[in-house]
Amino acid sequence: MKMTGIIFSEMYSDALKSFTQDRNMAAIPFGGRYRLVDFVLSNMVNSGILNVGVLAKQHYHSLMDHLGNSQEWDLNRKNGGLQLLPPFATEDANAGGSRGKLDELRNALDYLETISKTPYVLLADAYVLCNIDYRAALADHIASGCDITMLATKEAGDSQGKFVSVMQTDSNHKVTSYALDYPAKPGDYASMGHMIISREFLINVIRDYTARGIYDFTRDFIQHEFNRGRLSINLYEVDTKVLRVRDVNEYFQSSLAILDDDVAAALFRGDRPIHTRVTDEVPAYYGLDCQVERSVIADGCFIDGSVENCVLSRGVKIGKGAKVKNCVIMQGSVVGEGACLENVIVDKWVNISYGAQLRGLDSNPVVIRKGVTV
Amino acid sequence: MFQRKKECIAMLLAGGQGSRLYVLTQDTAKPAVPFGGKYRIIDFPLSNCINSGIDTVGVLTQYQPLELNDYIGNGQPWDLNRNWGGAHVLPPYTQSKTESWYKGTANAIYQNIAFVDRYNPEYVVILGGDHIYKMDYSKMLQFHKEKGAECTIAVMPVSMEEATRMGIMSTDENSAVIDFEEKPKQPKSNLASMGIYIFTWSVLRQYLIADEADPTSENDFGKNIIPNFLKDKRPMFAYSFEGYWKDVGTLDSLWDANMDLLDPKDPINMRDPSFRIYARNYSAPATRLGSGAKVTNSFVAEGCTIRGCVEHSVLYTGCQIEEGAVITGAVIMPNTIVRRGANVSYCIVGEQCVVEEGAKIGEHPENFLDGDWGIAVVGHQRTIAAGSVVKPKEIV
Repeated sequence: MKMTGIIFSEMYSDALKSFTQDRNMAAIPFGGRYRLVDFVLSNMVNSGILNVGVLAKQHYHSLMDHLGNSQEWDLNRKNGGLQLLPPFATEDANAGGSRGKLDELRNALDYLETISKTPYVLLADAYVLCNIDYRAALADHIASGCDITMLATKEAGDSQGKFVSVMQTDSNHKVTSYALDYPAKPGDYASMGHMIISREFLINVIRDYTARGIYDFTRDFIQHEFNRGRLSINLYEVDTKVLRVRDVNEYFQSSLAILDDDVAAALFRGDRPIHTRVTDEVPAYYGLDCQVERSVIADGCFIDGSVENCVLSRGVKIGKGAKVKNCVIMQGSVVGEGACLENVIVDKWVNISYGAQLRGLDSNPVVIRKGVTV
Repeated sequence: MFQRKKECIAMLLAGGQGSRLYVLTQDTAKPAVPFGGKYRIIDFPLSNCINSGIDTVGVLTQYQPLELNDYIGNGQPWDLNRNWGGAHVLPPYTQSKTESWYKGTANAIYQNIAFVDRYNPEYVVILGGDHIYKMDYSKMLQFHKEKGAECTIAVMPVSMEEATRMGIMSTDENSAVIDFEEKPKQPKSNLASMGIYIFTWSVLRQYLIADEADPTSENDFGKNIIPNFLKDKRPMFAYSFEGYWKDVGTLDSLWDANMDLLDPKDPINMRDPSFRIYARNYSAPATRLGSGAKVTNSFVAEGCTIRGCVEHSVLYTGCQIEEGAVITGAVIMPNTIVRRGANVSYCIVGEQCVVEEGAKIGEHPENFLDGDWGIAVVGHQRTIAAGSVVKPKEIV
């Protein structure tokens, strides 16, 4: 494979603060048994990428724990494989923190220069959930002759939120307009935080820009150079379902979106499985009086109550007579007998007491933090 | 020169054909038969080993070993991938003078003396791959050492009726074995051998060599080695095991053991996080239940899609139950599809089957009046045609 993968694991940590108090954004649980990073990482593996660097700057214990020796992704390789790239601690004032992607990429410099010497690099954000083959994107990049290729989705325009980069193109998918933090109009392309670039070019950019104290990759490199006509951008349109997780509300919507059959079929394909860490839980048990409809249930759950339109992670217990509706419940949490939850996100190892009543709005779910007793 | 040494290793006899499982073991060895949603029978002894601190396991295969070899691989799912030790699949092989299959359980170990000697162990645990149980072999080893035994046999009390079908021990007040009979007509005791032995390796080694030299021997632990130990008055003790232990060597008992998983008291103690049963995992997403699905009193593994009605059943990884299908009291093995309107009850359906629309498999015992009732069984990779019927007790 001619391409190395670099994963940015933080991006929206601040907007997802409820979940990222003590975990890295990429390690946020998703879809019953996954973490966000599983999707981009599995896509890389399924596309034949054998060299993957994961950039992490804070709270990366949960991520390290999850990735382990990366054998679930078959990345425990003698040649290549997965490497975690935490901040390079030096006496240099700027080294520890990271203000933008260039600061983070500087931590990957050594990896890109000496370890993973492929002609191309895929820079990918972990907040994007989809199932795609990056080989087609690489072929498109090479054929385009452009400096970089951005992976993007075409927006119908009903989305209210802003995207990091919004692009318009000519008929050859060459980018003609590049806007940052901007809402997309119908027909505009929204970046997926994935781009392909040649390794040598990337190394030069990292060296050159960080030496001058510039840290914002998208604004100060891509947009700046593009606006001056010095950077050509090819756009690779991804037309399969793409979910994003950029704030708590979007996490909630994207989590429940997988209850839709078409979305699930696009995300979970037999030919390109999404891999994750194995936990050896027992299969789920459905009790005598339970009612479960339109839900996703992971291994180890023990269900005695009523569950509708929910995503339950491994080892969740729903007590007798409890009712959960439109909820996302993470690993090991317990909903006590007779409790009633609607539009609630419950983080890991939470204890919802007997008879508790919690109700959020579908546009604004209640979030119960990790380890809390309610 | 010091030789590295393991205190105790295990030898797992996994060559069993399991002929009483009929279609389920047509193309695979019994220990590879799926069990309990996401497991295979062999996951139980392998997990018991690692949970007992035994990190070296020789898995002796013979009958249809392909699936089993593939499943065990390098032993990683059970934490048995070790630089020194770990899981080793040991098929019979051709030697310079002789070329032979494993003639009996004792011969299988005899042919692998060189393997055991590599680890120079004090003790060897001999296990079968036919039972569902959780057992800490280290406690049995402790007993073996305390008694100064050269052979310890795990035993379990059974009913007198069952005793006529099993190896039965009589013991003195000190748990020493004073008599052993295979399938006695008039059992003298109700302590049945569980087929789990701990031997002091140096002693067993001699007996295996002597047994091999005896042309009249059937080279079997129960029939030859144990009686020889008894005859020579070797210190041999019975270790009483209390807990769940179930033979899954017949279709009925396999179905029963699956149904035990639905018991809210959890007799197998599957949920104990300090003694997990490990299995090779495949990357399947979490199970999906559609609108209108109804699942009660069931054990469901990951990767299933359920739109129909499922009760009192065990669904293995990756099953699809379409709308209007009704599943009752059924054991449905991995990746089987049950189409609309099919009725699947009181049966075992093998891996990767397709039960077409409106087909009917098995029946509730109370609804079946003409003739002898029993569970229905469908082998692996079968297609049950639309509208066709598989009667109770029928095997296809």
